[in-house]
Amino acid sequence: MLKSRRWPLAAVLLAALTASSGTPRADTPEGPGVLAVLPDAIVLRGQGSHQQLVVEARVGDSYVGSRTKSSTFASSNPNVATVDDAGVVTAVRDGRAFITIRDGARRASTMVEVERASAAYPLTFRNHVMPVLTRVGCNSGPCHGTLAGKNGFKLTLRGYDPEADYLTLTRQATGRRVNPVEPARSLMLLKPTLAVSHGGGKRFATGSPEYQVLAQWIAAGTPAPSDSDPTMTHLEVFPPAARLKAGDEQPLVVRARFSDGHAEDVTRWAKFTTNEGAVATVGDDGVVKVQGTGEAAISAWYLSRLVTARIASPFPAHIDPTVYARAPRANFIDDAVLRKLQELNIEPSALSSDAEFIRRVYLDAAGILPEPDEVRTFLADARPDKRTRLIDALLERPEFVDYWAYKWSDLLLVSSRSLQSNAMWAYYNWIRASVAANKPWDAMTREILTASGNTLSNGAANYYVLHKNPVDVTENAAVTFMGFSITCARCHNHPLERWTQKDYYQMANLFSRVAIKNGSERGDIIVYPARTGEINHPRLNAPLPPRPLDGQPLPLDSAQDRRQYFADWLVSPDNPFFARAVVNRVWKNFMGRGLVESVDDIRDANPPSNPELLAALTRDFVEHRFDVQQLARTIMNSSTYQLTSRPTATNAADLKYHSHYIAKRLPAEVILDAIGQVTGVREVFPGYPGRRALQLPDSSVDSYFLTAFGRPSRVTAADSERQQEPSITQALHVINGDTINRKLTASGGLIQSLVVGGADNRTVVERLYLSALSRRPTDEELRTLMLAMDEATARETAAPVTAAAAPGEGTPRVSAAPRAATDDVAPPVTSPRRRVIEDLAWAILTGREFLFNQ
Amino acid sequence: MFRFDAEKSVEFCDGMRRRDFLHAGSLALLGLSLRDLAVLKAAGRVDTARDVNCIMLMLVGGPSHIDTWDMKPDAPAEIRGPFKAIPTNVSGIQISEVFPRMARHADKYALLRSVYHPGAGVHDVGHQYMQTGRFFQFGNEQPHIGCVLSKLKGPKGDAPPHVLLPRPIGNTGGNLPHGQNAGFLGKTYDPFVLNADPSDPDFQVPDLVSPDYLPPLRVDGRSSMRQLVDKAVSHLESVPDARLLDSNFQSAYRMMSSQSTREAFDLSQESDATKERYGRNRFGMSCLLARRMVERDVRFVTVNMFETVFNEITWDIHGSAPFSPISCYRDLVGPMFDHAYSSLLEDLHDRGLLQNTLVLAMGEFGRTPKVNPAGGRDHWTNCWTILMGGGGIKGGQVIGASDEIGGYPRDRPIAPPDVAATIYKALGIDVETPIIGAANRPVPVVDYGHAPIKELF
Repeated sequence: MLKSRRWPLAAVLLAALTASSGTPRADTPEGPGVLAVLPDAIVLRGQGSHQQLVVEARVGDSYVGSRTKSSTFASSNPNVATVDDAGVVTAVRDGRAFITIRDGARRASTMVEVERASAAYPLTFRNHVMPVLTRVGCNSGPCHGTLAGKNGFKLTLRGYDPEADYLTLTRQATGRRVNPVEPARSLMLLKPTLAVSHGGGKRFATGSPEYQVLAQWIAAGTPAPSDSDPTMTHLEVFPPAARLKAGDEQPLVVRARFSDGHAEDVTRWAKFTTNEGAVATVGDDGVVKVQGTGEAAISAWYLSRLVTARIASPFPAHIDPTVYARAPRANFIDDAVLRKLQELNIEPSALSSDAEFIRRVYLDAAGILPEPDEVRTFLADARPDKRTRLIDALLERPEFVDYWAYKWSDLLLVSSRSLQSNAMWAYYNWIRASVAANKPWDAMTREILTASGNTLSNGAANYYVLHKNPVDVTENAAVTFMGFSITCARCHNHPLERWTQKDYYQMANLFSRVAIKNGSERGDIIVYPARTGEINHPRLNAPLPPRPLDGQPLPLDSAQDRRQYFADWLVSPDNPFFARAVVNRVWKNFMGRGLVESVDDIRDANPPSNPELLAALTRDFVEHRFDVQQLARTIMNSSTYQLTSRPTATNAADLKYHSHYIAKRLPAEVILDAIGQVTGVREVFPGYPGRRALQLPDSSVDSYFLTAFGRPSRVTAADSERQQEPSITQALHVINGDTINRKLTASGGLIQSLVVGGADNRTVVERLYLSALSRRPTDEELRTLMLAMDEATARETAAPVTAAAAPGEGTPRVSAAPRAATDDVAPPVTSPRRRVIEDLAWAILTGREFLFNQ
Repeated sequence: MFRFDAEKSVEFCDGMRRRDFLHAGSLALLGLSLRDLAVLKAAGRVDTARDVNCIMLMLVGGPSHIDTWDMKPDAPAEIRGPFKAIPTNVSGIQISEVFPRMARHADKYALLRSVYHPGAGVHDVGHQYMQTGRFFQFGNEQPHIGCVLSKLKGPKGDAPPHVLLPRPIGNTGGNLPHGQNAGFLGKTYDPFVLNADPSDPDFQVPDLVSPDYLPPLRVDGRSSMRQLVDKAVSHLESVPDARLLDSNFQSAYRMMSSQSTREAFDLSQESDATKERYGRNRFGMSCLLARRMVERDVRFVTVNMFETVFNEITWDIHGSAPFSPISCYRDLVGPMFDHAYSSLLEDLHDRGLLQNTLVLAMGEFGRTPKVNPAGGRDHWTNCWTILMGGGGIKGGQVIGASDEIGGYPRDRPIAPPDVAATIYKALGIDVETPIIGAANRPVPVVDYGHAPIKELF
């Protein structure tokens, strides 16, 4: 039965057809579902006040299609409120009226209350005029919103400063822009209607709603923005969510509610955007067109607020509900993922094999391959909880610490490009020690943000050497610790974001009392709190009370340490941004994509692929006191993480909802280490003897391989600095370059021992597969590869000696491209047997199974 | 089974050369079926017979138009800056004294003096506008013009259709994409990036040539074995990066097997005198390399004059560190451009290639008309000058004009999509040719409402 809590009867009257049945389901000639009308409880205040109704077919909890166009509308009392064919209800006289909606055999009705119908609602500059200027583009970047203005007329970009715009419109140009005596002769009406020439062309017609708003406001004597203007309290979109299919159209309606209790249909003034154009697009009129399958968030922006409608377009496949009921579930992650998959008709794949799992989990958690013995032991282990045991064991390994220290060093921009070598080491060592101690993420963050003292003894203090001024710290802290950018707000209120320029400079002022001075040696810098210091808001030219984004302000004269105050706010369990950001990053590490993608772009208009899951993971992380290791454990233990990467017949197109494990190219450092591990010939980095790539503290260690494979430069806090995509350069390097080739030809190592040990073809194939791919070859693979080795042996035996470097000729020729010096290279051995084994190893080490985690 | 010849090209037993084999597969691999191409061709959208190449010189940093190609000798000192105007070989056209060689070739290029863009005065935004014709919004990365050309015309021979020299634009402060890749067209159409400094004395394309101990037969054998190993993961075909990895291997083999491609990258075949003429610096050698490439089947070459605007002397003359002073136009940046650009025009002209090679030189914006207190000029998107020559463009003329201080276009404002439309026309691509954009919807290569600058043809 219906949940009356969510569907008040006043809003939804069931069609007679279904009223008697227990389930709200009716397949009428017009389509499935019952009829619903939105918004409910309509109150129209003021002369001419109106509201577009949204008529929807509803099945269960979901709106499944717009019926507004096919419906007819009738008012029970047109003397109180009229309704037109399109479903727009307009106030006439105070009172109540019922609107009845018919769509074929289905019927619904809603009540409308009209108040103060005889009085025109007073138009305000802030709530009415500004939205018109924004909607028609007057204050946009290409027009009068540009820094230099246009033709002597300059507005603030998308209206971030109503007071300034008010003065510009009413006082400048000798007041010709507004003419309260004869509103129609105001320049601000003549220009955009092209009554006089206008470089920006025609923006609206005389008599249009835009024209009327401006004209009425001018006629009212151009009332100035005032502190007593009603402020918007709610912004709503109807329907808030819908379940549609490709080809469907869904008009959206946006309503604003204000502090004085009145509401307005602001659809015409809202700006609409989509986050996933491949799923659904939206026009300026708010009409959504569904283009494909998946989910899209349609954002409506009005008066610096944003509201989002979620459009789901399920996959066309029919999946039996028992598939989801029977799917393996290890923890809450699986519940949330399976719910989402069921919503979208996506079938989950089966669990991974043990061989798939062991390789995957070693690479994702610790950036290493399992050794052949470890693979054999794991495959032979019959205990039912062996995967959980393996995960626990991995979390205790030093390589786990290496991997995560490297990851956080990427995030925290550890690099000798911007720090002296000794300071870089101090910063890295602090990070590594924090990871080794499994320091909670909140504690680690707090130590960074409140760091003081010598940068060599307190490595965390280097954060303030990398980010020397309040603006830098503000922007970096937002991205690094909260996963979003507030950089746009430095110069103007962001058109599609919630953070204003005021928010920005209030936050920046929290970092205005950090000072640095040189210490006793090169690289040693002392970070210390200053007693004074402010940063001015550039437009107001005065400092504002320091305040962390949506937190409470600290009085300017407060003696409290401002950084401490920020850290308290940031790492508080109640802060919705902090835990979520790192949870999303850790999720991406294992699952290949963030629940919000990109992980640096978390904002209302870019919602998570699975909001319920992100919320649950965040809650769990906070409950476990910001324990990153525990978070990793929870993710790895989920069945979702343990699914195979093999798609089913219907889920291959899903790369977003985790119906199967998405294979991902390994990070540069992991590939290089893995090649070293398999061949037994480790890469040697100049200045860092004995360290693997993932143990390097610095991203500027010279290595052509790492650069070509997309190691980040650690200059800007952006996840996209790391390039995971394949390129032709990479292909050329593995074919001809000296990274893999030198390891294959080196004396010592696996190849050498296979040759010297006289291993037969079968042994060679099996050993290489186990080392590189963590599995045994199939019989078919054994057969074809052994055959290929025989053919290669015949070819190499017949090959002219000159084709290979003669013994004693020295190192193979290498190109002049800059690259890391590696260990001494043995001359290529010319025995055909060796060459064949090298070739097979090359084929395995450059194949996709090796280069991808899957 | 295989026959090996001196050219390092391999023949299969059926007589088909590997290069042909790979090439036949490559069109499909590039996502454009022969049928699609035929449709576009039949509709008159893509003129496949028109064989015009393009060299796009990106003057990263943003040249000051008032100090280079739009002098204001009569303006007050704080506007006109330190340099004098000199005449060119076309009467009536004057340019800055920092370009004496260019002044002798004004008949070969047109000066577009009323270019503007409507976006923010951030380097990255201008890079997007100028190289793609669009500003990136709603997570939608637009393709570079050269990448659109790759998509619509495919490779000409074994060479990649679009090459970027020497490295992609790095950090220029905005932390936004720079418009140098294929965007929504997919990474298959990304340019081949050199990733090396061609002025390096022993410069080579990294890893283009196999080491001696890997003769082609062995390279081929390895490739076949790799395909056997790869059979186990055919299900990875549903992962875009995995598909791309395979196509990259095929492209790499195609480049390796081609004599002509190797020559295209081989600067050792150029005389010392030629190198001196271009200037033995990263930009000069990149321009020389660009010429060799368009001579050998590369359709589009993008050359970044600088990689960043920080701690490097560039066009970005804010006047104070870490940026550059205005005087660097006379001392370093101006001569560097003058020599490379003039030599490129001379060579292309002398070899009869200028008619079918469009040469563009453009920055991401101009600079403030008024000299700032640090003695430099800041970013200015409202008006600047770009240069276009060759490829059927009528040189020796000025298009558009700025106002008396170079602040705004006075005549014929030219927006970046107009520039893009002009480039597409020169390349034989109708500006309404559809490409598949976001939401799988066809979008025209240039936004509606923009047209090629007809005076240039």
